Amino acid sequence: MRIVTTTATRWGMLVCISMLLGMAGGSWAQDDLPEGFVKQGLPSAPGAESIEAGKRVYFTKCVWCHGVEGAGDGPGAVRLWPRPRNFNAGTFKIRHTASGQLPLIDTDLFQTVTHGLPGSAMPPWEGILTDQQRRDVLAFVTTRLVEDRSWQDEEFEEFFVLDLESMSPKEATPESIQRGSELVVEKKCIECHGLEGRGDGNAFNLKDDWGFPIQPADWHKCWNFRGSRQDPYNVKNIFRTFSTGLNGTPMPSFADNTSVDERWDIANYVNALCERVTDIAVVGGQVSENTAQQLAKGVALPIDPLTDKPKSNFVIPSKFVEGDLPTEADDERWGLVQRRWIAMGGQITHKPRNFVNRIDDVWVRSLYNETHIEFLFRWDDRTRSIQEEEVDWDPTEVNLEDYGVQEQSPQGTMFAEDPFHEESIAAKQNQYAVYNDGIAFQFPIKWQELPAPRKPRYFWGDETFPVDITKWMADGTVAVYEGTGWDEDFSEVDFADEVEVVKAEWSHGQWTVILKRPLKGDYDEVAYLEGGKYIPMVFFAWDGHNGDVGRKMAVSAFYYLVMEPPTPVTTYIYPAFIMVGVIIVEGWVLGRRANKRKASSRS
Amino acid sequence: MTWLKLVEGYMPMQMISELGLSILVFVLINWALHRAGMGVPKFWAGVGVWVFIQLYLKYRIYPPIPFSVRAIYGTVSACGIFMWVSGSEKEWQEFKRPILNVMDGITGFHKSVRMAALFVIPLALGGFAYNSFLPSFEEPIELRTVHPAPPATTKVHGKTFVLQVVQNPYRVNADGDYDQGYTDARIVEQAMGRLMKDVNDPNYNPWDPNAEGYIKYVREGGEIFFQNCHFCHGDNLNGRGLWAYAFNPIPANFTDAGTIAQLQETFVFWRVSKGGIGLPGEGFPWASVMPPWEQHLTVDEIWKVVMFEYWHTGYYPRTWD
Repeated sequence: MRIVTTTATRWGMLVCISMLLGMAGGSWAQDDLPEGFVKQGLPSAPGAESIEAGKRVYFTKCVWCHGVEGAGDGPGAVRLWPRPRNFNAGTFKIRHTASGQLPLIDTDLFQTVTHGLPGSAMPPWEGILTDQQRRDVLAFVTTRLVEDRSWQDEEFEEFFVLDLESMSPKEATPESIQRGSELVVEKKCIECHGLEGRGDGNAFNLKDDWGFPIQPADWHKCWNFRGSRQDPYNVKNIFRTFSTGLNGTPMPSFADNTSVDERWDIANYVNALCERVTDIAVVGGQVSENTAQQLAKGVALPIDPLTDKPKSNFVIPSKFVEGDLPTEADDERWGLVQRRWIAMGGQITHKPRNFVNRIDDVWVRSLYNETHIEFLFRWDDRTRSIQEEEVDWDPTEVNLEDYGVQEQSPQGTMFAEDPFHEESIAAKQNQYAVYNDGIAFQFPIKWQELPAPRKPRYFWGDETFPVDITKWMADGTVAVYEGTGWDEDFSEVDFADEVEVVKAEWSHGQWTVILKRPLKGDYDEVAYLEGGKYIPMVFFAWDGHNGDVGRKMAVSAFYYLVMEPPTPVTTYIYPAFIMVGVIIVEGWVLGRRANKRKASSRS
Repeated sequence: MTWLKLVEGYMPMQMISELGLSILVFVLINWALHRAGMGVPKFWAGVGVWVFIQLYLKYRIYPPIPFSVRAIYGTVSACGIFMWVSGSEKEWQEFKRPILNVMDGITGFHKSVRMAALFVIPLALGGFAYNSFLPSFEEPIELRTVHPAPPATTKVHGKTFVLQVVQNPYRVNADGDYDQGYTDARIVEQAMGRLMKDVNDPNYNPWDPNAEGYIKYVREGGEIFFQNCHFCHGDNLNGRGLWAYAFNPIPANFTDAGTIAQLQETFVFWRVSKGGIGLPGEGFPWASVMPPWEQHLTVDEIWKVVMFEYWHTGYYPRTWD
């Protein structure tokens, strides 16, 4: 059973628990605690000076999103999803304390402020605020803005703390991972998180304590875990979340119905699903012995310390293969070429801006043969979206604002009149008209003529240098357009027939789309792709259930496609020459030295 | 490694002082060892320092320095080390000794080293040559001008602004007159945290219900910032917003002394109004996702958000005089 705790029910539970405690004469034995937890006393109240200093920090840095009263309703909140925390009820997600309890200020809240909450707008404040300033602001928030509860309330509050410090993680062996994969089914994790853990299970009906829609985590993107503490592949973070649950959300604590050992198995499995350097398929969550071994050996992606996301590489290599190009995603030949991680941001340059981009990355690989180039796209999308109703606009139209596709209004500062934030972007989630999921990429049509470093504008080209845009949509259509600017309608190019959708499949929260197109466009309307050159490329993605259509989409930065030519023979010949040369020089030097020594010893 | 922050970006002063300090420490250790009669041979000291500098440059600095730049540093430091080891004839002899010993193969051990070198050196050079001949497709380095020359005038919402004479209409004192000194005194403190000077004074706290004039406009600018700009420029205006990881060029860091702190307010007004697409060619207008904010904000809103950026970072806009 999934326990959805609201503030009210939690209060009720607390009252019941404390009454029971009273009857038991306050005799809490350590044994009554969930496994792995220890009891801890309440902290002492912060000093008035610290609170005052923290107020100064709060009103400089935090108020903009969290609001004057700490209700998570600052001016920034209206366009944010996930929303900024409402402090008033004392409900905090990331904790070492048992479900429903307040968090530890010195560790839990301090780490949240220090490391931020990835996947949300909360940044790490380390290096910006001093340790003392971070402690001060917590003193202010916990005493002045948390209204319904108090860390000094001996009567109602207590702390059962997960003793993570003194635990060492169970080794992530194939057996542990395999056991974890069975346990996530047994413990019904997959109901929300989906069979393959992409958060695609019960993704639509979930709400947080305040009634805002909320999504189950995608286990394949551990760098977006709120509790990842700038250390995404650390299994302890997952173990903690699983043990204590996320207050205010449908994610319960599993401390009472799993042993510590089982929790490590689950954490190891969830951690192993987070994307590694190589793509390991966990089809339908069925982890065979072989898959478990692969998962256990996976090498973590390098994380960029400036962004806390995987490192980007802006060159997309395409490798040459003899004969026909792959027709399936599991064709071995995809292994010839490294997959690239394409970071996606919301389109926020022109209206309608996309403040919530549900697609935040796409994986791409490419192979080519004498005549064609093929792209394998894979991206996580919790919902398979196919437009059902007819739309009024033509596919070549780019400005859909007149048809009602509008960006989230900033709502001014009218929060007082909208206490439930019904007009905020968070409240509107899952209520959009559904359009097609889609993916597109653009090349400059005449990239050979670009005077470096000039490129056509990332956003559908410009007048001087038009682009060709290949766009696939979930209703099965594929089209090639010529783009001459962000606000210029497309013109359809007679090339779509030559572009082949080799595969397009949505499975357990992931799209796999393979597109094949001829290398040789006619040069006037479609790019003519050549090997060994840097060809600028930009990616676009649409999530139909996010109301993405037209310019409301996710975009990437500029990437370069490089069709790598086969290695020339000279690569092997020259080094051989050099080695022989070096040996000759060495012999000569040693010979001279020996002669010199002989001469000097003779004299 | 969270306990030791990497030297961020290109911070030459921190890098040079750290390197200088560590070499000083080496000298002290070396001196102490010599005093104790366990001196490190000159040859190994030289090699050690050189390797240390290379490792420091490779692993201590982030984002990483390109190989070509490290090669230059490596050559310079090798020259320095050579000057040090060849200070006197005696020192030079001492430095050469281990090399000559190997070449002469004076003991069995030296002979085996000589034998090994005979194979290792050609193999290493051959491998290096193979690597450099192997076609590799690294990310090309493209240098863009971050602050190109502004135009003389700019037309926003149908009104022409002469950038040399126009003033921020909200940068006003209590009498409603343009007054940079008055407003500069009310920005956040230029200390760690960059906090407002007094949270209980309506002259300094934009969120005070009694805030009027300049400081109230700062709040209005901040509201615009946190509804529009923070997605890229970040909650602390340091260019580390929610989507900063996805874009290239990366969003500007206003807390860096090299951005708005060294620009006139009118320049920022022009950049904000026209956005990435309004840049001249040297600024790479095609790659920037910065919106032309005149499409989203009014002239008044743009002035207010610019003023907020100066308030929040604690910088004064540069003036013509």
